[in-house]
Amino acid sequence: MNTLPRPFLFVLIGIAIVAMIPPVIIMRMRSTNQTQPRIHWIQDMDNQPKFRAQHANSLFADGRAMRQPVSGTVARGELRADTHFFQGIANDAWATMFPDQARETPDLLARGQEQFTIYCTPCHGPIGYGDGPVNQRALAVMGDPARSKGTTWVEPKSIHDADIIAQPVGQLFNTITNGVRTMGSYKSRISVRDRWAIVAYMRELQQRETANRANAPSVGQPNNQSEGNQP
Amino acid sequence: MRTSKDIDGPLETPVRFVFPQWSNLLLPTVIGAILVVPIYAALVLTYGLSPVTHNVGYMPIQPIPFSHKIHAGELGLDCRYCHNTVEYAAKAAIPPTQTCMTCHAQVQPESEALKPLWESYGEGTAILWQRVHDLPDYVFFDHSAHVERGVGCATCHGRIDEMDVVFQTQPLSMGWCLECHRDPEPNLRPLDEITNLAFDSLRDQTAQVRRGLLDISHISPSEDCSTCHR
Repeated sequence: MNTLPRPFLFVLIGIAIVAMIPPVIIMRMRSTNQTQPRIHWIQDMDNQPKFRAQHANSLFADGRAMRQPVSGTVARGELRADTHFFQGIANDAWATMFPDQARETPDLLARGQEQFTIYCTPCHGPIGYGDGPVNQRALAVMGDPARSKGTTWVEPKSIHDADIIAQPVGQLFNTITNGVRTMGSYKSRISVRDRWAIVAYMRELQQRETANRANAPSVGQPNNQSEGNQP
Repeated sequence: MRTSKDIDGPLETPVRFVFPQWSNLLLPTVIGAILVVPIYAALVLTYGLSPVTHNVGYMPIQPIPFSHKIHAGELGLDCRYCHNTVEYAAKAAIPPTQTCMTCHAQVQPESEALKPLWESYGEGTAILWQRVHDLPDYVFFDHSAHVERGVGCATCHGRIDEMDVVFQTQPLSMGWCLECHRDPEPNLRPLDEITNLAFDSLRDQTAQVRRGLLDISHISPSEDCSTCHR
């Protein structure tokens, strides 16, 4: 069997080895996660010199492309003079009624339940007893010296405490808006109408749980029997 | 280099050049190369330039080692607790530092990992989170349009609740978008399961239910250029 002269053979083997490199790189890229920025072969106009929401812009001192409203100005439609709707205050006292813009309709309650589940349940629990997953984890973290790292957790209140039930709806609305004690403000995250929806749903929960507690002994059921039921 | 032996030997008498026997191998080699090289080049270019190769698996290092696995997975926080703009805005915004501080003002405030958070909170500076899912600047994707019509978070972002460090799981290429715009049914889910990352549109509901979702939300996605490229 005659074979190629050695130089030819070496060149062919060399080409074969070099040809393996791209497939190996491709397979590696497809099978592992990459922390370094992507290689962008065809730029087109993928990265344009313009600024969109939350982009960085080195022209401004704070490095943000998005600007704050000029201080001392009010944007159109943002006067928020209606203290009942926007602050929960009617006649210089906490409002006891829901504002006209957020009447207690089934729609509002459904929205309230959804928003309550998103924003309140983590700490206050699904029914509002203050037993949410964040509370449980925070207590566990605080009790573990290795993980505590300065944790000072105040347990969230139960919305079924007598003093919370006694609060007018305007005060509950204000608590969601501005926070209270260690609870933070939610006004930047929850729209005004949704905050009223949450208050409406809280009232619904309070009434249901109060009724459950009152009924429980006579029916002979544990008083948390209906906790899993949602409207 | 020529030696005296070379000069004395064959050069003195004229001889016919005979191709060595190995040269018979040249023809099959050339034919083989003509067949193999284009296939090789096509495969390397196709896979080498594919968005699946380049974009899937991008996992940038973030300024704070925030774990979605702990927050969205173990604690079960709804996606909207932090990305609250997703229902009404084009962008599912990165939350402001204040959102983190809702809990971390009290929980592990002295943690080394949270130092950039306190710096941002104290000085009002932005935390330079690295963007994971980045579309070309001429694409105008709208989160609210999808989330309000039954396309869940997990469809495009994968099981974020199982990731310590978020990485891209879908190619987010135009072909990939069009696949769903041409046949959205397999990716639809009820509106109350939108942020449920464990919900699987195909596994957890029948085709009949999915077809029903098409009708409920009046879904007929457009394939016009101007739908996404404005």
